[in-house]
Amino acid sequence: MQKSAATEGEPQRVFGIAAEFDSPAALYHAAEKCRDYGFKKWDVHSPFPIHGMDAAMGLGRSKVSLIALCTALCGTTTGVILQGYPSLYEYPLIVHGKPLNWMTIPAFFPVIFELTILCCAFGALLGMLALNRLPRWNHPLFNWERFGRFSDDAFFVSIEADDPKFQETRTREFLESIGAKNITLVYE
Amino acid sequence: MSAVAHAPAKGPKVEYFQTNNLGPVFFGLMIAAGISLAILAGGAFLLDKKQVLFSLLYGFSFCFTICAGSLFWILVHHATDAEWSVVVRRILETMATSFRYIWVFFLPIAIGASTIYLWMDIAPGKDTILDGKRGMLNVPFWMTRAALIFFIFWGISHLLRTWSTAQDKDGDPKYTVFTRRLVFPSIVLFALGITFGAIDWLKGLDHYWFSTMWGVYIFAGSAWAAMATLIITTVTLKKAGYLEGIVNEEHFHIMGKLQLAFTVFWAYIGFGQYFLIWYANIPEETSYFIRRNTEGWNVLSTMLVVCHFFIPFLLLLWQPAKRNLNYMRGVAIYVLCVHALDHYIIVLPALHWAGVEFRSLFTDLAAVVLIASTLIFFFLKNLTKFPLYPLRDPRLKQSLNLKN
Repeated sequence: MQKSAATEGEPQRVFGIAAEFDSPAALYHAAEKCRDYGFKKWDVHSPFPIHGMDAAMGLGRSKVSLIALCTALCGTTTGVILQGYPSLYEYPLIVHGKPLNWMTIPAFFPVIFELTILCCAFGALLGMLALNRLPRWNHPLFNWERFGRFSDDAFFVSIEADDPKFQETRTREFLESIGAKNITLVYE
Repeated sequence: MSAVAHAPAKGPKVEYFQTNNLGPVFFGLMIAAGISLAILAGGAFLLDKKQVLFSLLYGFSFCFTICAGSLFWILVHHATDAEWSVVVRRILETMATSFRYIWVFFLPIAIGASTIYLWMDIAPGKDTILDGKRGMLNVPFWMTRAALIFFIFWGISHLLRTWSTAQDKDGDPKYTVFTRRLVFPSIVLFALGITFGAIDWLKGLDHYWFSTMWGVYIFAGSAWAAMATLIITTVTLKKAGYLEGIVNEEHFHIMGKLQLAFTVFWAYIGFGQYFLIWYANIPEETSYFIRRNTEGWNVLSTMLVVCHFFIPFLLLLWQPAKRNLNYMRGVAIYVLCVHALDHYIIVLPALHWAGVEFRSLFTDLAAVVLIASTLIFFFLKNLTKFPLYPLRDPRLKQSLNLKN
């Protein structure tokens, strides 16, 4: 079994096991088998998105849309209060002969709309980053030199040591049985 | 048997729409059309010709926008080289064959046009504002435009369907190339056609009114209602056992997304039109909205904002809902009802200033039923003539294996 390059002598924490597959199709079927084996903390890495991979990994729905909805509603509320309260109660001014009640709402709509969109976009972006635990300086998988090819022409599966089903030898045997190559123990 | 001979070597089985056990449906459609025609004729002779012509215009604009919307979706499909819509394209193409028939219902409107469109009866020199618009608003040019719109829309949809069905037989990719060459100029013609149609037939009801958004506003509603009609048709076909393994919830997910997108687009256009007119407060622009925001129409106009945007927006927002066929059909039926309300508020206030007149509801409804049932009758007849989906489209495989 290969080991990722690390300084000799010092006690090292195992991050997990990573392995390479030949093609997107092989990676897809490997993902289905890992899902069925019952791994929870694992991932696949490929240079491009593979259609249907989220189903093959059993990922379920992303929570980004829920976060985006919540922040969008916050934006709407901000827009309504920020304009409605001063314009109608705190400092009412009649502009263009428009009425001083809720019927003036068309005038407030552009700002309400823009704030909704802005907060929704921020919520979606920042929520996605938070769920991916980004930004971070480095990831232990990069300790394995070969892994750099994930953005070029190689397809990887990585299974983290924190996974409840992770056992060094048995996980390696499992990966061998599903046709993985270059199975490597990666240290943090 | 010929269907089997044309079947591609590999791929899903050839499917034809069968009308053997649809006798009651055809009979029901004919009865509905007959009763509506009787109501309209009775209304014209016994009550009020003007009311019947307005009802016909309402029914016509409701149905015409749906047909135009279906033509739009075919054009967009080809222009963007779309994959997902290949399996439902034949249904859209058959919907667009309605341009063969719908002009018949425009004939009474054209004959009685001077009763509906007040500007036709005003002699030159009596109305300065109208005289400035005579280049556009004169009867011969108005008639020519109407004829051109019907001819162009019929021509485009006819060519698209002819090439699409010809490809079923020999699978020659040259038809895809022909179609591609046709659709880009057609998009321009379609935009001009629907804009002039909207201005001539609907905005012309008030010849003083200005709005630069009007064509886009009508178009937004058209595409929205046409997508709903497509959803209803596809779900109904699936319930009847057709398109099994061809159309699945992935396709409905995309149709739901487009339905949601055009809900927002309509709101954007509709609000953009209202907002600028409301803010600027110029008399020649506000006339349309003052009439629709006062007296009996105020309630309906306010309802339109809620029913045309907020409710469908919330109904279509949740992702799993868009993959549920029954739910999507329910939403699509609701969408068509709101489209009917939208066009009711566009057409009828020009006749009844004070609000909805109960008496007119009969002829309004009869006009919609007459035109819609006739078009559905011919739609079902035309659907039997060719396979239910393009058998040998180069993009068919991608469409079958669609993943969102």
